[in-house]
Amino acid sequence: MPPNTPAVLARAKKNRDRRSQAGTIVSYTTVRHPPAGFAPQPRRIAVIALADGTQTIGVVTGDEVIAIGQTVLPRLRLNRVSHDGLRGYDIAYEPVATVREPLQTPFPGYILALTGPSGVGKSSINLLLATVLSDQVAPVPIVTTREPKAHDGTEYRYVTTEEFQSLREQGQLATWADIPSQDERRLYGYVVSDIEAIWQSGKIPSVVTEMHLLQGLAQHYGRRSILSCGLLPPGRSRRKMLSTLLHRLRHRGRDTEQSIRDRVRNAEADLRFFADRADLFDHLIVNEHLDGAVEQVKGIVLELVKA
Amino acid sequence: MLLRGQKVYNPPERMPQDIFLIGAGQTRFCEQWDMSLRDLIEASVTAAITDAKLSAIDIDMVIVANMIGDAVADQAHLGALAASLLPHRPPALRVEAACASGSVAVHTACSLLRSGDVETVLVVGAEKMTDVPNEVVSRALMGASDAEKDAAAGLTFPGIFGLVAQRYQHDYDLTREQLSLVSAQHHQHAVTNPNAQFQKAIPAEMISESPLVADPLRLLDCSPISDGAAACILSVKHRSPFRIAASQLSTDTLSLADRPTLTSFSATKEAAQKAFREADITRDDISHIELHDCFSIAALISLEDLGFAEPGNGISFYEQPDPNLTINQSGGLKACGHPVAATGVKQLIDLRRELRASGEQFGLAHNFGGAGATCCVHLLEHAA
Repeated sequence: MPPNTPAVLARAKKNRDRRSQAGTIVSYTTVRHPPAGFAPQPRRIAVIALADGTQTIGVVTGDEVIAIGQTVLPRLRLNRVSHDGLRGYDIAYEPVATVREPLQTPFPGYILALTGPSGVGKSSINLLLATVLSDQVAPVPIVTTREPKAHDGTEYRYVTTEEFQSLREQGQLATWADIPSQDERRLYGYVVSDIEAIWQSGKIPSVVTEMHLLQGLAQHYGRRSILSCGLLPPGRSRRKMLSTLLHRLRHRGRDTEQSIRDRVRNAEADLRFFADRADLFDHLIVNEHLDGAVEQVKGIVLELVKA
Repeated sequence: MLLRGQKVYNPPERMPQDIFLIGAGQTRFCEQWDMSLRDLIEASVTAAITDAKLSAIDIDMVIVANMIGDAVADQAHLGALAASLLPHRPPALRVEAACASGSVAVHTACSLLRSGDVETVLVVGAEKMTDVPNEVVSRALMGASDAEKDAAAGLTFPGIFGLVAQRYQHDYDLTREQLSLVSAQHHQHAVTNPNAQFQKAIPAEMISESPLVADPLRLLDCSPISDGAAACILSVKHRSPFRIAASQLSTDTLSLADRPTLTSFSATKEAAQKAFREADITRDDISHIELHDCFSIAALISLEDLGFAEPGNGISFYEQPDPNLTINQSGGLKACGHPVAATGVKQLIDLRRELRASGEQFGLAHNFGGAGATCCVHLLEHAA
């Protein structure tokens, strides 16, 4: 338990905004003997899956019966009072009256997701894997609204913005993302039927993702369906990693200088995402040499196939 | 990071050396009001040295495992404390990894032995917990969780495992009666262990009716607060019939909230996989397990994560005990007692006794810290 002092409470306050979201109960308990520093009454505490996909641990208010899967809403409540009278407030969660049936997401199969900033080598690894593991893995085509470019591989399927919107509205996309760019609206997504066709052929679909696509997939199929590999550029510091990416993007000569600037800006957020959402990654791989990285991913896939 | 022109340093190839458990000793785990932390350490160290038939000066290094000495006994700096009990005051250090401190100390010793810097290492795990009121111990133990993410809501350790148990019961339809079989069996085993805190059988019905501590966990689902120390001497120089066949350490997120599942601990899975690979044996080769049953539910999850049962099926070992595999024959943490940092060392001592008695070849020790954020798996081989 952190001490109840002004500095600790001030830091905890920063967390409150993030935790102030609706969520569902993952599990709950009643602590019959709370630790020193808290009110002596039994305390009901739950693990809560928040709307943004993160989880938190917090107090559940009231004394009605609650259940796993039930919806809760955030409320600001007095958490504890220090012996010199300092009152610490925190987010507590209020159960919403209707109890939803516990969600049992069926397990549809595994999807291999390669996530990382632009230029880290996601597509290269994905294409090589499809060759070296052609019996086990098949890449899922990316549906995109962006303009075709001379160096694009065969992995893209180009659609208009209207076609993309209609796919989305009909619920045919397992996940989609709007990736900011200065010169055009770039929407990317994966189609449910593409993924399911690969499962039916007995293979593991592989996708390249960034943070939004990955979170979308985890929400659509359940986190445990995603065999999630994060790809990092080599370098000890974030700055070194970004400069490696910049170098690679310039070297491959596919993008305009403006587009490279966009990509590096997005890459900064991508690198932060690895730390912020460590729970979304099963493995982190540094792509120092393409062969080495492909070997590592191959090893991970084969271990899964064996199991 | 390498600069251009710089060469990679390749250490000379060294044969991996066999590490032997050449001596061990422990105090009884229980309330030891007449013994201080120092007395406990001294008693177990003396017993281990006597058992190893060595002279104290054969020890090149001491590693002390301890979690809450600072908070409970006002005593930190335990490396020097333990070293000063030996005539030649060898180099010493302290290791802390919550309830896994003991096994992490053994793992550290193995690494040092393999490095070639030392040939014989004394590992001692010790904890003094009964000197202070329960709230103080409780709070000190919460240091094993994430202070900002878990503890701030007012959780206790039984609370953390209450969350785990609630979800497990929901996902796998485990009943209260089934869960009570776990502590009942561990208590039954402790009846014949003179070092156990509770040498007494407790029927499952009594466990089901004990007071609630953190729903659905009841008092008799929880391991007790204990004093105790255990010491092992490991060596690459002196031999014995007991060899450390694998020593593996893995970690997971500190906070329960950051995990994709509550009903499985990935550090246990990973450490077990690595250990079986290191020893190059399979689960069928194991005859005795000492596992980390800090709460009854943890025993079930651990059997599953170690790969002995399918998810949700750990209870089968308690409903129909396997004649070829003993689980917590010592009584485990529940009945033998759990002086936190001593447990990981004591498990090896128990395995040695069990292998000696049965004449079998392999035993497995599983020891984790917090809610499985650190996990060590050791495989002990008995050359009969």
